[in-house]
Amino acid sequence: MQILTWNEGLNIGIDVIDAQHRTIADNLNRLARVRHEGGGSKELEQVFEQTADYALFHFGFEEELLEEAGYELLSSHRRAHAVFVDRVRELQDRFRAGENTSEALHALLADWLFNHIRHEDRAYVDTVRAYMAGPRS
Amino acid sequence: MAILKWSAELDTGIEVIDGQHRRIVDYVNQLHEARERGDAEAVGEVIESTVEYTLSHFAFEESLMEDAGYPLSKPHKKVHELFVKRVADLRMRFRAGEDISGELHGLLSRWLFNHIKNDDHDYIESVKRNMLNLTRETHEGGWLSRSLGRFFGGRH
Repeated sequence: MQILTWNEGLNIGIDVIDAQHRTIADNLNRLARVRHEGGGSKELEQVFEQTADYALFHFGFEEELLEEAGYELLSSHRRAHAVFVDRVRELQDRFRAGENTSEALHALLADWLFNHIRHEDRAYVDTVRAYMAGPRS
Repeated sequence: MAILKWSAELDTGIEVIDGQHRRIVDYVNQLHEARERGDAEAVGEVIESTVEYTLSHFAFEESLMEDAGYPLSKPHKKVHELFVKRVADLRMRFRAGEDISGELHGLLSRWLFNHIKNDDHDYIESVKRNMLNLTRETHEGGWLSRSLGRFFGGRH
């Protein structure tokens, strides 16, 4: 499991979103570290829980923002989030049932997330920036 | 579970907000201590105080953001709502006799830390600018007291 180093290419230019994405990357790295250090299942379960939790909060924030901004691809963006959440929950359930799915979670985070940031999230930047800059009622 | 120590990266520079955040950290640490002592009654009391205080803090903060015309106040409010739902679920399980204090402590400490660092920090500029405007027009004590009174009664 690789440690992820944040790079400028992962910033989409909306500060609070970039901060939340960096936190998800930190969670990913914590998962790798706990696994590498031979952390027990209780500790792994905690990191799993916190990783999943934070992603949910981030998605909630982002979806609300996209809705406010009138982003035209909101429903497909929401669907992409929902697919990810389902996958994480499945890995969590299997983990609780005794299967060590921490590596699969790490891989999911690393692949899905960073593609999602680089493509789907980047796609909304102009709309959101226009919304943030414009007049609001 | 560890005692949470305040760190500089949690400061927003908005005194009233930093005061409320520090109070929440105190509650989180009280929860940890009650748990360490095995004092179930104290755990229950601290959970209630923490939840009540955090709700008031959120309402106060949301009001500050909206008054300031901070563009991301609705998404910010959304994460408050999601957090409140999570905590309400844990409180329900606690009342049903389940020991969720560890889970609650974990949620409070980690979520709070990230929320302050990422989300609260983003509104600083808008809110500070608005507060400056307000203190130019009205006496600071008057405006602040009214706002605090609205959400905290005598408990701020």
